[in-house]
Amino acid sequence: MGQRSGRQERSKKLELAVSETMKAEAEVQNNKEAEEPKAEDQRVTSVFGVADLKNGAIGLYNVGQSCCLNSLLQVFLMNRYFTGILRRITVPQCAAQQRRNVPYQMLLLLEEMQCGKRKAVSPIDLACCLSVYRVKMFVQYDAAQLFLTLWNLIMRQMKKAELVAELGNLYTICVQEHLACQKCSSETKRNSSMLTLPLPVLDSSSHVLKTLENCLQYFFHPEELTGRNMCFCEQCGRKTPFLQSMKLVHLPQTLTIHLKRFCYEKSSYIHKLSHYLPFPQDLDFNAVLTENQCQADDKEKAAWQYELFAVVAHSGSTSCGHYCAYIRSLTECKWYCFNDSEVCQVSWDDVKCTYGHSNLHWGETAYLLIYMKKRPQ
Amino acid sequence: MAQWQEVQSLANAYLEQVHQLYAGVALPMVVRQCLATWIEDQNWRQAAEPLSSHARMLFHSLLALLGEQLGSPGLGDEDFMLKHNLRKARRDLQAEFEECPERFANLVANLLQEEQRILRLGQAEGQAGAASAPSAPPESDREQQIQRRLAEFHTALQEAERAFRYLEDLQDAFDFCFKVHYLPGEDRTSDPQYAQQVQALQAKLQILDRQRREVLAQMQQLLGRSETLQDFLQQELGAWQERQQRACLGAPVDTRLHRLETWFTELGQGLFQLLQLLRALGDLRQKVTYERDPLKAETPLLEQRLRELLIYLLKRAFVVEQQPSMPNACKRPLVLRTASKFSARARLLIRLYDRNHHMEAKIHIDRNPPKTKGFRKFNILTSSSKTLLAGDSPQDGLVCDFQYLTLKEQKDSRSGKGSKGASEGPLVVTEELHLITFTLAYAYCGLELELETSTLPFVIISNNNQFSSAWASILWFNMLSCNPKELQFFSTPPPAPWPRLAEVLSWQFESVAERGLSREHLLMLAEKLFGSKPSPESTLTWPKFSKDGASGFSFWAWLDGILGLLQEHLKQLWKDGLILGFVSRKQEKKLLKGKRTGTFLIRFSESILGGVTCTWVEHPENGPPAFRAVVPYTTAELASLALPDIIRDYQLLVEENIPENPLRFLYPDIARDEAFGPYYSQRQEGNPTEQKKYLNRRLIRVSSRQANELWQTEEELVAATENLETLQLQPSGLGTQQPGSVAPLQPGGSGMVHPKGSGTLPVTSGKLGMLQVMAGSPGTLQPGSPAVLQPSSPGTLQVMATSPGMPRPGGSGTLQPGSQGLEAPRPLQVGPGVSEMLQPGIGDLEPQLVLQLVPEGQGPLQVGPGGVGTLHVLPGELGVLQHVGPEEQGTQQVGPGAVEPQLVLQLVPEGQGTLQVGPGDLATLHVLPGELGMLQPVAGDTGMLQQVEAGDTGLLPAVAGAVEPRLVPKGQGMLPPELRDLELLPESPDMQELLQPLVEELEPGSGTLETLEVAELMPDMLEPVDGGLEGLGPELAGSTALLDPCDPFLPQPEDTALPTVSSLFTAAADFPLLHIDANDFQ
Repeated sequence: MGQRSGRQERSKKLELAVSETMKAEAEVQNNKEAEEPKAEDQRVTSVFGVADLKNGAIGLYNVGQSCCLNSLLQVFLMNRYFTGILRRITVPQCAAQQRRNVPYQMLLLLEEMQCGKRKAVSPIDLACCLSVYRVKMFVQYDAAQLFLTLWNLIMRQMKKAELVAELGNLYTICVQEHLACQKCSSETKRNSSMLTLPLPVLDSSSHVLKTLENCLQYFFHPEELTGRNMCFCEQCGRKTPFLQSMKLVHLPQTLTIHLKRFCYEKSSYIHKLSHYLPFPQDLDFNAVLTENQCQADDKEKAAWQYELFAVVAHSGSTSCGHYCAYIRSLTECKWYCFNDSEVCQVSWDDVKCTYGHSNLHWGETAYLLIYMKKRPQ
Repeated sequence: MAQWQEVQSLANAYLEQVHQLYAGVALPMVVRQCLATWIEDQNWRQAAEPLSSHARMLFHSLLALLGEQLGSPGLGDEDFMLKHNLRKARRDLQAEFEECPERFANLVANLLQEEQRILRLGQAEGQAGAASAPSAPPESDREQQIQRRLAEFHTALQEAERAFRYLEDLQDAFDFCFKVHYLPGEDRTSDPQYAQQVQALQAKLQILDRQRREVLAQMQQLLGRSETLQDFLQQELGAWQERQQRACLGAPVDTRLHRLETWFTELGQGLFQLLQLLRALGDLRQKVTYERDPLKAETPLLEQRLRELLIYLLKRAFVVEQQPSMPNACKRPLVLRTASKFSARARLLIRLYDRNHHMEAKIHIDRNPPKTKGFRKFNILTSSSKTLLAGDSPQDGLVCDFQYLTLKEQKDSRSGKGSKGASEGPLVVTEELHLITFTLAYAYCGLELELETSTLPFVIISNNNQFSSAWASILWFNMLSCNPKELQFFSTPPPAPWPRLAEVLSWQFESVAERGLSREHLLMLAEKLFGSKPSPESTLTWPKFSKDGASGFSFWAWLDGILGLLQEHLKQLWKDGLILGFVSRKQEKKLLKGKRTGTFLIRFSESILGGVTCTWVEHPENGPPAFRAVVPYTTAELASLALPDIIRDYQLLVEENIPENPLRFLYPDIARDEAFGPYYSQRQEGNPTEQKKYLNRRLIRVSSRQANELWQTEEELVAATENLETLQLQPSGLGTQQPGSVAPLQPGGSGMVHPKGSGTLPVTSGKLGMLQVMAGSPGTLQPGSPAVLQPSSPGTLQVMATSPGMPRPGGSGTLQPGSQGLEAPRPLQVGPGVSEMLQPGIGDLEPQLVLQLVPEGQGPLQVGPGGVGTLHVLPGELGVLQHVGPEEQGTQQVGPGAVEPQLVLQLVPEGQGTLQVGPGDLATLHVLPGELGMLQPVAGDTGMLQQVEAGDTGLLPAVAGAVEPRLVPKGQGMLPPELRDLELLPESPDMQELLQPLVEELEPGSGTLETLEVAELMPDMLEPVDGGLEGLGPELAGSTALLDPCDPFLPQPEDTALPTVSSLFTAAADFPLLHIDANDFQ
């Protein structure tokens, strides 16, 4: 259901899309051939900034258990902040390099999606490119892990420093880790950054956390390190109990939350937690975290207003499963569901179905949540 | 409808877009039109994929079909142009796309998409227009969503099937090529042709692989959407279950399952279809598989997911449609009595079954009993399994209906008989919850599972007297628990928040008597429970609700007593809001304080289980208002006499006074009979031909109060004898039958006749219409009261015959006023002896006559065209009163020449006839309510009774109908206000005309009262008249008012309750008890 409407959406822009994208493509071609002056570059950016999704939502063929990759690619490519950066990359000189360049292959894929009239395109070239970097086809991936791999590959292969910085800004979460000795109250702080917030869905006593907000609170909740977990305190000169806490410093434009639904407890046995865990469409970190869980100025905090942009959902079990992505188009503000080559327009109710269900272990459950910073009012 | 057809029905603006769409396109519209259905059935999008051989095939099929069309006889000569166009189109297409059919496929696919888009826009606009107009009953948002998603689901499913068939074709083609061309055995690597073939094979395999993945993706998508749909249905089902639980509490909610059943069945059907598709995919894999075949990895995953979804759906779809209930206690389900029949029904909302498979449904009681000591165990005595035969109930769906179940307690053999007390569990019997579980062995499409569902917990009792408290447990549970398996609920019952409890209590009343509790009622109950105004946080504990109670019974017992009372006796009154019910004494005083004397309200007793009482207010001349209440009536009393009748007949006996009914206005201000008239019981219809051996009797209720001991009310049953039948005039019963309505003629003045249906005028002797029923206890007749006569005016005297003497059938003539009215005093005194005499004969008396007097000078009686007949009787000055039955007539006399006693007679027979005679100065003529026949003369000048002319009387009745049927005083001195506005309606000029001369005639004689001649009248009167009016002698006619038999206001045998009468006496058969107000005689 809904497929029809999805396609119709696409068709609506059929005619228009061709001309503009072609134009933009031409620009890119120019871009590839020679270094453009910066002004030109900016102009192209602005064209592409709005050009995304001109052709509607396009599926990606499954090229060998690539549903996980496909879902992540859709999340990347539907994010116009990301594509805005991607479209400015430096094109590698020789063909061999081009084939091995992940950002470039992604850009090509994006172009193909934008200009084609077909309902889906095949990411086979990108998949081949990735396999060079040991991201093989026909292998099941964990979406969170693949996301990190992919992001790092893109980051590493971007030549322009400014783009690297922009990409970093777009995705990086900054936190400050505090480690305080309980004996001498000496404190060590360390700033670190992360790409995703890996949220546990169970608390320390294996009780189910009720909502995403609870998970966040639990994640930023200070933890006592005692017993075997004690750390060596330089002041005291011995192992002492520590209080470990994490403070939020900065949140990026695109915030990725990883729900740790795969449970590694009990040694080798991995199982999936499919219980119900609702997440909101609008997330205000100021309402979730307490004052001392944050380490940010007011201006930063004022921007901590997020709305849900995408959900990467997993169905099936740990050994075999399927990923699909629910993405809210930034230009149309409509939800789409991407199941490889199948794309259809859906509603928030469908997204809510990925909250999980304690009786349906094989159904779709949200695994990655991607929130987008709201525009300042 | 086919897409092309829909497109053609679009509005012009959109059609224009379609024309534009086809304007510059290689596919002429004529081809689109000609092969519309076929074109829409093909999967052009798929064919448009590069490397697809499908496009070529489709293209050639199209050309072939066009060729067929050209040659078909259907296109005759008249379609010459069409033929030409088709031929041209075919040529053009062939020329343009022969080399690249994929482009053609792509073109068609885009065209179809674009058509759909236009169609959607056009239809959306059409709907927007239609939506503004009033449309079908609005469905809820959720319902619409479900319907829409179900439709989408089906479309997507069809699409998936189509994709699957295409995949099948691809695979067959590949399979064939593979078998023909692939020869692995021989080494033919050198053969370039072979290499080419292998390459082609490889390409085909690529396409096949992609198609497989595509079909899988489609199914993933389909499953994802069906999960959402499933989620919606579960929510709806959850809402239904909540509704059912509330319905068990008596809430008026819709618990029909039909819609849910349709939805579940549709989704179930779709999912089973999908399951079969998945299996078919598995079969395809059996035939052709290759390394990294996506079917191998993903089909099992999909199937697993689908099965899980289906099983969950099936499990939830098995519901208890009818909770266990005993047949005679439908409004209180979930209380079962051992050895009594009960029934329960479960339903599978997915109406899919395999005809070849017999499904067995079973019921079990207490499958997992709590491990509590003393928990009683039961067996289901009757058969506990049932085979659900396929086709058993195709229409009704899959139902396991267990009727006629009975339970028997398992006696623990070890403990023996007498040890029950010892093994008593911690919970009393009525707090012990049990469950019945239904199981169904379901099998369909290779899916086999046992479905299970449980009833709500119920209570098992062994005796009816436990019923009430068992029901209390059910209420408490269903109000507060949402876990139907929580059998240990009553080990720690939670308290109930007041708002929730209030709602549930209101439902109890609603289900018993169709009217819930008002805010005021609930406030009173809350104050009773909490001692103060309730806050939303107030809670009531279980023991306080069902166990403790200051007055010896619990709150629930009290409330249930009232419910029982309502159910048995007061349903209608409660439903119609006549019972104020829950009013505290404090509140009651507040309400009544400002109301006039005689205003009463009905409330439930707080001190007696299942009691109802009336409280009324009196405003003594000095002092604060007094509030009186009768000892509450309970079922025992109400069983013999209904509350409206009690209210109607209720008498208060006051020493020295005539009994009166203190209940006059229902709070806030409705005349008693107006409020209760419709509920008064009908008088028995007797068989007139049958000689009555006994008189009928009826019960009325009275209270007496002692003069000294103010207001000590006590209640007694008084049997007032009264032959009800006789009150009805029956044509056949002429002589013997007592026409209740017949007003015996009064010498003094008037008589009224009331013929019943046939127009015959029966007159009886011996039974005069007299008043005062009250018999039975002699004491009720106050010695003083009968003294009607007022000697105040000297010489004149009137007789007043009321009670005493006359009633006796035989005791005629005792009263004799000679011409000297002075004798009068004698009758005034009625001694005890008289009342004794009364007794035997009293049954004969007709209670409805009342005489009213009008005081002398002021005869306020007016007959005016406009506002007629107010009758004021002023106490103290009335001269007289009078009246009589035929029997005494002879004896009764008004002294001639007597002073001006302004005699006015008012007869109120049977409620409908009144008659008044006012002699004296003003001849007052008073017409009372509509239906009466009346008449009324007055004697003036002549000293004789003035007779009314036959003509006049004849007319009267006709008019009577026009008079507003407001009615009448019950004998009190004061007419109720209604009477005052008695008016002649404009349509009744006759009446006015009639009255006018009368008045004039009488006028001169004012001041003198003459004798009324009786003699003349009597004989005729007594003569039974058979033939109706014609038979009446002139004299008779002269003195009587004959009612037109057809007068709608006459009581007809068949319509005793006259709906047209809006005020009192709505039921013609109801006789208001008449009394003469004691005040009148002071």
